[in-house]
Amino acid sequence: MVQYNFKKITVVPNGKDFVDIILSRTQRQTPTVVHKGYAISRIRQFYMRKVKYTQQNFYDKLSTIIDEFPRLDDIHPFYGDLLHVLYNKDHYKLALGQINTARNLISKVAKDYVKLLKYGDSLYRCKSLKVAALGRMCTVIKRIGPSLAYLEQIRQHMARLPSIDPNTRTILICGYPNVGKSSFINKITRADVDVQPYAFTTKSLFVGHTDYKYLRYQVIDTPGILDRPFEDRNIIEMCSITALAHLRAAVLFFLDISGSCGYSIAQQAALFHSIKSLFMNKPLMIVCNKTDLQPLEGISEEDKKLVAEMKDEAMKTVIGQGGEATDEAGVLLTMSTLTEDGVISVKNAACERLLNQRVELKMKSKKLNDCLNRFHVAMPKQRDQKERPACIPEAVLEARAKQAEADAEKQKRKLERDLENENGGAGVYSASLRKHYLLANEEWKEDIMPEILDGHNVYDFVDPDILQRLEELEREEGLRQEEEGDDDFEMDGAELTPEEQAALAEIRKKKSLLIQQHRVKKSTAESRPTVPRKFDKDKEFTSKRMGRQLSALGLDPTLAINRARSKSRGRKRERSVECGDDNGNDAMDVDEITPSKKQRRSRSLSMARSRSMSRPRSEFVPGEGFKDKPQKEQAIKLFKKSANKRNKDARRGESDRVIPTLKPKHLFSGKRSSGKTDRR
Amino acid sequence: MATRLQFENSCEIGVFSKLTNAYCLVAIGGSENFYSTFESELSGIIPVIKTSIGGTRIIGRLCAGNKNGLLLPHTTTDQELQHLRNSLPDGVVVQRIDERLSALGNCIACNDHVALTHTDLDKETEEMIADVLGVEVFRQTIAGNILVGSYCAISNTGGLVHPHTSIEDLDELSTLLQVPLVAGTVNRGSEVIGAGLTVNDWTAFTGSDTTATELSVIESVFKLREAQPTAIVDEMRKSLIDSYV
Repeated sequence: MVQYNFKKITVVPNGKDFVDIILSRTQRQTPTVVHKGYAISRIRQFYMRKVKYTQQNFYDKLSTIIDEFPRLDDIHPFYGDLLHVLYNKDHYKLALGQINTARNLISKVAKDYVKLLKYGDSLYRCKSLKVAALGRMCTVIKRIGPSLAYLEQIRQHMARLPSIDPNTRTILICGYPNVGKSSFINKITRADVDVQPYAFTTKSLFVGHTDYKYLRYQVIDTPGILDRPFEDRNIIEMCSITALAHLRAAVLFFLDISGSCGYSIAQQAALFHSIKSLFMNKPLMIVCNKTDLQPLEGISEEDKKLVAEMKDEAMKTVIGQGGEATDEAGVLLTMSTLTEDGVISVKNAACERLLNQRVELKMKSKKLNDCLNRFHVAMPKQRDQKERPACIPEAVLEARAKQAEADAEKQKRKLERDLENENGGAGVYSASLRKHYLLANEEWKEDIMPEILDGHNVYDFVDPDILQRLEELEREEGLRQEEEGDDDFEMDGAELTPEEQAALAEIRKKKSLLIQQHRVKKSTAESRPTVPRKFDKDKEFTSKRMGRQLSALGLDPTLAINRARSKSRGRKRERSVECGDDNGNDAMDVDEITPSKKQRRSRSLSMARSRSMSRPRSEFVPGEGFKDKPQKEQAIKLFKKSANKRNKDARRGESDRVIPTLKPKHLFSGKRSSGKTDRR
Repeated sequence: MATRLQFENSCEIGVFSKLTNAYCLVAIGGSENFYSTFESELSGIIPVIKTSIGGTRIIGRLCAGNKNGLLLPHTTTDQELQHLRNSLPDGVVVQRIDERLSALGNCIACNDHVALTHTDLDKETEEMIADVLGVEVFRQTIAGNILVGSYCAISNTGGLVHPHTSIEDLDELSTLLQVPLVAGTVNRGSEVIGAGLTVNDWTAFTGSDTTATELSVIESVFKLREAQPTAIVDEMRKSLIDSYV
């Protein structure tokens, strides 16, 4: 769909400004320095460039004018005719034609002078040719000055035209001057059209928008029309005629039955009949306005007859659209814009008639088939006996029943938005996400829950049923205990032998001692750090003590002590590589053969080494691509030599080809007066 | 009772919210405007919960749920899961599932009784949907689109689907879902219905670009405010023809 927007046409400068703009542009955008000592080809080139550049700018500017102004033959006939009425098609076309001619002339001038410049033999001649060329171009523009001024005026006027979409749903209001057309549009739309008690208050088309049945309607207020021959009509009236002729709209013909507009009903009827050819194929309605002054029933018999005649004409439009001949509603309507009596019914009738007409047309179009599915409501077929009820909470139903109360409550309720505004606004206020938690205990809401505890993800251990399981376990435990209650096993001294009894007593004594010791330690532990036992701060876990304890138990402690000592002492020196003649491979060592790689590795694994040994760079490792060690050394040498120069240049590698700024401009330009050298 | 709103200048509000009959999830935004629009309509009736899923705000596209349960993608963090468990009523089962197609909202469209799913979902996921959400599961496409969740919005009372769904498909889907269906658009002609609209049995939220015609179609097909789906063929037919053709 073409959008008509005449507001975006660029400003057309007047002749003088035009020339100034282009010439200053040439001055700014092309080189300005030339010497007669230059080679002649260079001088010619210099001036040719100026001429060509100026021509190009003229060409571009004029082209935008020609392209941006609408071509009257290509746009919608409504706009074509409206522009013709307002600005006179011939004049408009002539102006654009002149611009086009000027564009061609300038191109020709430039072409000629560039050709001449090729023969320029000195700087002076070339310059003169350039001056002449630019001068002739400017003269051409000056000559079309009046056309430019005219186009600028038209541009300004067009930018103020209302944006009428000729293809959308439109309601057109027409009638004699001062019958209440503008009052009506002011009532049904938000257009603020000037209303005054004299004829031709409205001098051009005005647009407002109104809604009916989910759709938007464009309402056009037209200037009043007088009943006179077509040729005598002025521009203001012709605007209305154009709109009536070209817009496919519902037409409301306004009739002032009180005659307070200064025209009798007979005159208005005459106008109706003289322009009725314009109402062909459009939903037409006769609207009798100002019923507050004069009700429709109260008018004279002749006038009634005239109104009936008009109604019959309007009925023809209904029948022409395939409507029922008896369908009289919505053809003759009465209203009073003053008391707002019937205004809405007029609007609704007009919208309804227009909608019906448009729908009927569209029903015939092929495009309808593409969206047939969108007018189809698929109702479900029963596929089983299952009920699938809606789930609407009680609270909602209650709220619906008490709509007013619910609204009041809604007003009262404090929203997060309000809280936010009270607490510093967006970006400052940060709402707690936990505010609405549904927990068994309200106090748990703000509890801090760690994400990671002792290196474990806490949530891996969260079990929603843990309380239930605990209960189950406890119940099981209880059951078992009850069972065991009968044959209760108790450790009493009765069944034990005296030896065992002694041992038990010993154990218990020991245990209580340990507990006591622990308690003593713990009671003072708060103020000092707890040290793991293995560090043995108090030096109490000695091997001597172990020996004593073991002997007290009647065991031989030597083995254990030796083992403990060997652990704490570290490895013996004699197991190191240098003295490694106890490697178990004596027979092979005799032959002075180095042990195989595997053997070496197995040994090295078992040996402790004080520090790691790095492999020398030149050591031969099979698989690197070198035959033997000397070859590798040679390669390394060559590499070092090649990298030497690069390193001196402080380059990162072969690919570093950066050429630094050898003479930084700021250090080598400008005057060096005293006291200014330090910053360079 | 359809409400028009925006999330930080985006009309795709279905992306940033999830509305069901038992709860409403809302993305955490820069200000409280979006949340408060839901809050003013819903709080006191169902919990309105601010949350992120997998650290993102596109929660509507990532999760699927109805009044029985909520399915979350594997990207959901433990903290978010815990937050949702704490915030949702006890009757709602929250379940994180290991599905390769992690945008569950795009792949699953469901009401409280029936679910349509992406054709490539795992067998286990399908079982999970049936168990957690308590629905019958059908693998379906809508107008040739496998992302069923994106191209339709359904409640227990009605459904709106992609505008290019053919009449036969509409009838078939309607029989599967056992609700009236209409092909339509939201957000001034957008065909990603799921992104522009979130709806439950008594209220709907749409993007603020939605036109009056679209809104009235939504209100009648979802039976909000005493409107009936048949209104679309009766009273609104003319307006619809004039605006579509």
